[in-house]
Amino acid sequence: MTKQQANWSPYDNNGGSCVAIAGADYCVVAADTRMSTGYNILTRDYSKLCKLADKCVMASSGFQADVKALQKHLAARHLIYQHQHNKQMSCPAMAQLLSNTLYYKRFFPYYSFNVLGGLDNEGKGCVFTYDAVGSYEKVGYSSLGSGSTLIMPFLDNQLKSPSPLLLPAQDAVTPLVEAEAVDLVKTVFASASERDIYTGDKLEIVVINADGIHREYMDLRKD
Amino acid sequence: MECVFGLVGNGFAIVAADTSAVHSILVHKSNEDKIMILDSHKLIAASGESGDRVQFTEYIQKNVALYQFRNGIPLTTAAAANFTRGELATALRKNPYFVNILLAGYDKETGPSLYYIDYIATLHKVDKGAFGYGSYFSLAMMDRHYHSGMTVEEAIDLVDKCIMEIRSRLVVAPPNFVIKIVDKDGAREYAWRESVKDAEVASA
Amino acid sequence: MKLDTSGLESAEPVWATFNELADGFSAAPSFELPNTTDFDGFQKEAIQMVKPAKGTTTLAFIFKEGVMVAADSRASMGGYISSQSVKKIIEINPYMLGTMAGGAADCQFWHRNLGIKCRLHELANKRRISVTGASKLLANILYSYRGMGLSVGTMIAGWDETGPGLYYVDSEGGRLKGMRFSVGSGSPYAYGVLDSGYRYDMSVEEAAELARRAIYHATFRDGASGGVASVYHVGPNGWKKLSGDDVGELHYKYYPVMPSTVEQEMVEVAGA
Repeated sequence: MTKQQANWSPYDNNGGSCVAIAGADYCVVAADTRMSTGYNILTRDYSKLCKLADKCVMASSGFQADVKALQKHLAARHLIYQHQHNKQMSCPAMAQLLSNTLYYKRFFPYYSFNVLGGLDNEGKGCVFTYDAVGSYEKVGYSSLGSGSTLIMPFLDNQLKSPSPLLLPAQDAVTPLVEAEAVDLVKTVFASASERDIYTGDKLEIVVINADGIHREYMDLRKD
Repeated sequence: MECVFGLVGNGFAIVAADTSAVHSILVHKSNEDKIMILDSHKLIAASGESGDRVQFTEYIQKNVALYQFRNGIPLTTAAAANFTRGELATALRKNPYFVNILLAGYDKETGPSLYYIDYIATLHKVDKGAFGYGSYFSLAMMDRHYHSGMTVEEAIDLVDKCIMEIRSRLVVAPPNFVIKIVDKDGAREYAWRESVKDAEVASA
Repeated sequence: MKLDTSGLESAEPVWATFNELADGFSAAPSFELPNTTDFDGFQKEAIQMVKPAKGTTTLAFIFKEGVMVAADSRASMGGYISSQSVKKIIEINPYMLGTMAGGAADCQFWHRNLGIKCRLHELANKRRISVTGASKLLANILYSYRGMGLSVGTMIAGWDETGPGLYYVDSEGGRLKGMRFSVGSGSPYAYGVLDSGYRYDMSVEEAAELARRAIYHATFRDGASGGVASVYHVGPNGWKKLSGDDVGELHYKYYPVMPSTVEQEMVEVAGA
């Protein structure tokens, strides 16, 4: 074991914002494609989205080296799962696997902030948000990453889905139709890239519905 | 804050402890018994971090019981005190237990005895001893009023004097105390001194 | 470098059959430790980076009809509210609830772990685990990780063969049995309402209202608490969620807006 320098850190923050919105029969997951460190932009074309299963997509911001390690780990776990069960992992199962995977690095965390979007067993949209050490929560919509403090209040204002904790329970999925949700995502990212230096360049949007996964792009500010 | 003290009388030893479970400014519980009956003729009163206190005293209790099962005779109070000290000393160089202990016991051969053991593994046989913020008051009270060969009535009177002094002079005085005694008839609870009742009573 | 984690293992070797597969994917779960000589320093920095959600009000108390458990639902990072819909009452099994204060992931993970252990106990012994036993299981695990930076302050509430049970367990290894607890930054406020309104012989409705009120008043005074006040009741037939109310709406239910009488009408200034 080599002795480490006292002021060396195994972490960096590459910035970026992620958004996911669950609808009645679809789920939109989106992230910008800028990757930065400090004031340097490293690349304008880095995908933060990762398809984990047929109906499950993860968007991750934070430290992209950790994110890549996490994605590879989950891909391997999913491959083992497919060999053992001969089927794709469901989104809620993947959600708990991600939670446990993150927590097993509790004392040396993956510096990654993830949102998981997909369809549940009934084909309804679902979104799970995480902290870096694996606490997770099922929500109607979520935003994480450097622009989340700009995006989240905007989504709250536009969607304001009733809290899942309320009793009598109210449906947490958003009332929007798919096209409206995609438009909303485009709007929030256009707004966030106006005020967040780590968000910009290009927006990658993935829509998951009964037909499968559909991907589209939109240009954002490049300054 | 925590107050644990005890003394040796004529044919018995008494220990008293406050019963407050405190976290920063909150009193989570005011009837937490901090004096464990170690075996038939031993008492172990402990103060310190809540987790360490319970885990360590239970560990000692179980090991003393194990010794008795294996050998058919119980440890003497002196032996139990030395064992406890040894465990604290071993832990001190790895992951220390933050517990201070008063160990009282009664042996047929040697009569009652009281041992002072602190978290850095100091072991000392004493006639009277105390830990915590209450010790400043109770030690002086016991120095002034203690004499060898006290009767149970005299000893309880002295313990009550100490409790009254702590309650009236200590800013962060705990409201309730438990008093336990060990003599030739064994270790047992003697009395509670409560000025605040917890909800516990209602459930009974 | 790996940390020995017997706390994670169940009595049965669930994982043993797949050991030929690559290490790290199917071996018994374990916690990876950083290769550093200064673990405490690393933890301190790492925790800074993943700022734990702080600020909570949770409470639980035993009364005639069982145990009442209630909590708010806010998670904040400094001044930013990171969520208004955190499930701070964790359903361990149909007869037992845990509450969440401190690190969200620490609480969630170890309660999930406790749920597994309780189920295995049930299968091995053909009877449900006692609240005493379950809380000690959790306390012992947390105690074995002491000094490593876990942050948990939880209450285990449930109903077993001996009736209602309530324990407070924290990451310092503390475990207290009691009739009435409140945990979190809003707990002093909650205690104030709870202590003054508590009677052992309350009805379920009275108790639920007391719990709701205590959470409401805590969210009113404590900026780090808020969102939805959830109230659960544990009785002989297991737990049931009684209510979940937005505290913003509760405020106007408890204190309806009264049309105030106008003391002085504003008049136009004569001849400016």
